[in-house]
Amino acid sequence: MPAMIEAHGLVKTFGDFRAVDGIDFRVEAGEFFGMLGPNGAGKTSTIRMISCVVPITAGALQVDGLDVRYEDRAIKARLGVVPQDDNLDQDLSVRKNLEVYARYYDVPKRLARERIDEGLELMQLQDRADERISALSGGMKRRLVVARALVNEPRLLILDEPTTGLDPQARHLVWRKLRLLRERGVTILLTTHYMDEAEHLCDRLIVMDHGRALDDGRPRTLIERYVGRDVLELHLNDEERARVRAYLDPRLGESARVEQIEDVTYVYGLGQEHAREVEELVGDHYRVIDRRANLEDVFLTLTGRALVE
Amino acid sequence: MATTTSTPTTEAPPEPPSGRRRGGVLPWLGVAVPGRRTYRVWQRNRDVFFQLWRAELMPPLVEPVIMFVALGLGLGTYVELTGDTEYIQYLGPGVLAMFPMFASVFESLFGAYFRMDQHGTYAAILSTPARPEEIIAGDAAWAATRGAINAALILVVMVALTPVYGLIESPLALLTIPAAFVLGAVLGSLGLAYTSQARSISQLTYFFSLFVLPMFWFSGGFFPLESLPGWATAVAWFTPLLHAVELNRGLVTGDIGWAHLGHLAWLVAVFFPAFWLALWTMRRRLVE
Ligand SMILES: Nc1ncnc2c1ncn2[C@@H]1O[C@H](COP(=O)(O)OP(=O)(O)O)[C@@H](O)[C@H]1O
Ligand SMILES: [Mg+2]
Repeated sequence: MPAMIEAHGLVKTFGDFRAVDGIDFRVEAGEFFGMLGPNGAGKTSTIRMISCVVPITAGALQVDGLDVRYEDRAIKARLGVVPQDDNLDQDLSVRKNLEVYARYYDVPKRLARERIDEGLELMQLQDRADERISALSGGMKRRLVVARALVNEPRLLILDEPTTGLDPQARHLVWRKLRLLRERGVTILLTTHYMDEAEHLCDRLIVMDHGRALDDGRPRTLIERYVGRDVLELHLNDEERARVRAYLDPRLGESARVEQIEDVTYVYGLGQEHAREVEELVGDHYRVIDRRANLEDVFLTLTGRALVE
Repeated sequence: MATTTSTPTTEAPPEPPSGRRRGGVLPWLGVAVPGRRTYRVWQRNRDVFFQLWRAELMPPLVEPVIMFVALGLGLGTYVELTGDTEYIQYLGPGVLAMFPMFASVFESLFGAYFRMDQHGTYAAILSTPARPEEIIAGDAAWAATRGAINAALILVVMVALTPVYGLIESPLALLTIPAAFVLGAVLGSLGLAYTSQARSISQLTYFFSLFVLPMFWFSGGFFPLESLPGWATAVAWFTPLLHAVELNRGLVTGDIGWAHLGHLAWLVAVFFPAFWLALWTMRRRLVE
């Protein structure tokens, strides 16, 4: 089966600045694919090229088998895009926003009305259909933008940081809706700088930084590859840190290692018995966190920096 | 670097399908020809306008009345014109072009700037099958429509005042509505081209002070330009408003001739380069 998105050596420059610096990736039909990276990684620039809003500088990019350089209209007709910043029509009602949008896709009026009802219900906005945009909460606006992106029944739904700025409850509701859409067979591409979002939702993801792809794979695979299963996270003062390092360093062996990032010490791949020992050494269990490794640790390992500053 | 199942194949990208160009852009124009989605963009603007129509309706009904009272009845009593024309009658054709001009220009400056920069309206439309050129053309068409709506409302006021002041002398005056559309298409295009270069709202006012207001005063709407030095008349001939006012003068009085067709031809001829300029400049702003 052809890929939904296929990028080879994809580049986007602004003047001399390389916002996307030669990335390769492939998204299969039906997949929930993530792009994980901090602000400025080049996620939005990549998405804007995929959705044929800006031209590619170099490389090759195909969406649903079509070349973005020549088939912009045909590609856009198959996409739904949820941009990073809400750009709803403030002066129009919830329903009117969707009606206006459906017209750009030439959806016949009656069919549009059906889909809009469906979309509003799916996003739990059916009671809000006649309200002004300004009367909606942040989470409702996001869900409305998702509903808007569905009016043309897209084969590929692209979401740029869909939950940035939302409170935890609103986030979880958005996540639930996205999982539902995946179950219905929509291919989803999502960008985020939240590692928990990427880990929760994505079948597969690409880790980006400074316009480059660091690696891609399943979240669990990446975690196992770079970090192992468990992490010991230590919040220590200088004296305690010296004590712990004196104990750990001779015992690290082949598979374990220590990273110091800002004031936090991360110990990867350490056996359980040593973890106990370290806890004893520090004495205060709240500052020794023995936890499962996550994508944040992958990013830390790959770049030496945190995802969200 | 370790890779998973997602290793991309290394086939070369396919050749461009014959006859296709990047974004539909024609090489000798630098822009794509706007297609039928121009109408969708126009519809969007229309829907927003009618959502707010109560607020939008007042100014075009009130402003010309104020001008007729202040200039026509106030100042006009001190003005002596050749023939038996009253000054308020002299003002009519100008008012039918000036206020529509303001409506079109406002729409293409402030309206477009908000859609482009503040509200992300252009960005939202760009991810649909509409092309940048269709957004620009839709906005230019809407600016022209605003001018035409404005002219229609002023015409209503003038018809109402006609029994007393004899403002309208011919049914041809109805054609001042499409004339305002043509003027609005020219000025809306120039306004959009200017807006595409603006980096802040305050910069938009320059277009007003340096272009629109001088045009307003020296269009021949307030006084015959013959009284000015020759160079000023010559400069005025290059501004769109003058031609709209002259065209309207023929339509309102019914005293129409080849010269009026010339004024219309001038506006139509200037529209094409102005529209191309709007497409070209705004496209560059939208597609970085
Ligand atoms: N239109 C633009 N002009 C110049 N620089 C840009 C433009 N858009 C993005 N950039 C730069 O490109 C880099 C990547 O941006 P972006 O793709 O928005 O990253 P992300 O979405 O991952 O935060 C950033 O450093 C940003 O400042
Ligand atoms: Mg971004």
